[in-house]
Amino acid sequence: MDSPLSRALWPVLSLGGLALVWTGAALLIASPVLPDPLTVWQAFLREASQGYWIHLGATLLRVLAAFTLAMAIGSAIGLALGRSGRADQLFGGWLSLFLNLPALVTMILCYVWFGLTEVAAITAVAINKIPNVAVTLREGARQLSRDLDEMAHVYRLPWQQRMRHVVLPQLAPYFAVAARNGLALVWKIVLVVELLGRSNGVGFQLGLYFQEFDVAAILAYAFGFILVVQIIEYGVIAPWERHANRWRR
Amino acid sequence: MGASCQPVAPVSVLGVEIAEKAFEGAPVLRDLRFDLAEGEVAALLGPSGCGKTTLLSLIAGLDTDFAGRIERPEGALAVVFQNPRLLPWRSLAQNIALIPGSGGMARARELLNAVGLAEAADQHPEKVSLGMQRRAALARALAMRPSLVLMDEPLVSLDAENVGVMRGLIRGLLAESGATALITTHDRREALALADRVLEIGDTPARMLRDRRSPLDREERRNTEDVEALYRAWFSDPARAAE
Repeated sequence: MDSPLSRALWPVLSLGGLALVWTGAALLIASPVLPDPLTVWQAFLREASQGYWIHLGATLLRVLAAFTLAMAIGSAIGLALGRSGRADQLFGGWLSLFLNLPALVTMILCYVWFGLTEVAAITAVAINKIPNVAVTLREGARQLSRDLDEMAHVYRLPWQQRMRHVVLPQLAPYFAVAARNGLALVWKIVLVVELLGRSNGVGFQLGLYFQEFDVAAILAYAFGFILVVQIIEYGVIAPWERHANRWRR
Repeated sequence: MGASCQPVAPVSVLGVEIAEKAFEGAPVLRDLRFDLAEGEVAALLGPSGCGKTTLLSLIAGLDTDFAGRIERPEGALAVVFQNPRLLPWRSLAQNIALIPGSGGMARARELLNAVGLAEAADQHPEKVSLGMQRRAALARALAMRPSLVLMDEPLVSLDAENVGVMRGLIRGLLAESGATALITTHDRREALALADRVLEIGDTPARMLRDRRSPLDREERRNTEDVEALYRAWFSDPARAAE
């Protein structure tokens, strides 16, 4: 059986191998369009002393705002549609429509309708994510145990207790899926929104360095952001998921 | 020994008058009428699939789509479901403590102790046997001090040892609480071992076939562990023989 050390070693070796391949390719091409890892690291150190954290912070705040909004609204819609067949018949089509609406169209429309503002940016990102959350939670609500629902009815559990003890624990895996997918989608859309209409944030910086053809800085921002999202995944979402599922065999 | 020994309380706790219950136009229950007196323990006896659980759902108010009338008690009504329906993400004690009026964790532990589960109070349902889950569900039902307890096949799928334990607990705890109870079963021996009265339903749609008092009183049933003897006593009863 693999020890924890060897389980951790393989991904590290694999990533090290990728860095070696990258270094080899960069040396072979010998062009600024593919800088080697050391150059990217130097670009990161340079950016870190010139407002990197401010831009990263601005993007993270937008991600947090849009993510929270999308999870709250999407969950409410999903639960309503999953619990009411009539509501699903009436509004299920809306979900399909919004799911297939290109993210870029939503962003442009929000900027046109609300101006190049923070509200427009966050709204555009949230609108793109809400249908995904709603679809996931609708499925969760459809799978809610009728047996437990009847038990709660017979034992006259107040609705707050039903939500806390009966409904939400059943939805925990669906929340985890929606949160994980949501985070991955939201931060990507936030970068595009910033690229199109904000004057700070990682997306804005990426646009700036694209114009300057500074690939090392672009990669420095990209890797920094990937690192932050991984910290959220392994520091927040995964522990919460383990906590929510600790009762399972 | 005999029906004349039974203490019959005059107050009716449950009144059932089902003209008809149908699923998608197909009648399942028809012309079922009976009352249960306060403190009475009745068995609803019938073959599997005849509509016993459906009748229990109607009485519990889980299904209101039927022709007829059901008068339920003023106080709490509890159901011991065939599948115990414990919350898998809560411990056995928490499952009981969250019921309104249960008295919290301290009383939950007392009740679990009463059903022999003191050691398992902090275990989650999936980590204990079906027999233990059933006992916890029985404790949960009694936690709200119900006027009426409905039990759906409480002994089915249990091994012989657990059947004996559960049967003893049902008899003892119901007697102690004084609650009225209706217990569904497909097993005549089980009905006789548990109930003051046996309501036998059958046919399609199910109707009342027999409504008879047990030939043994509670004390005799408690002291008689040999269910076969109860079974023979039932058949030796002259009223039964005349049927």
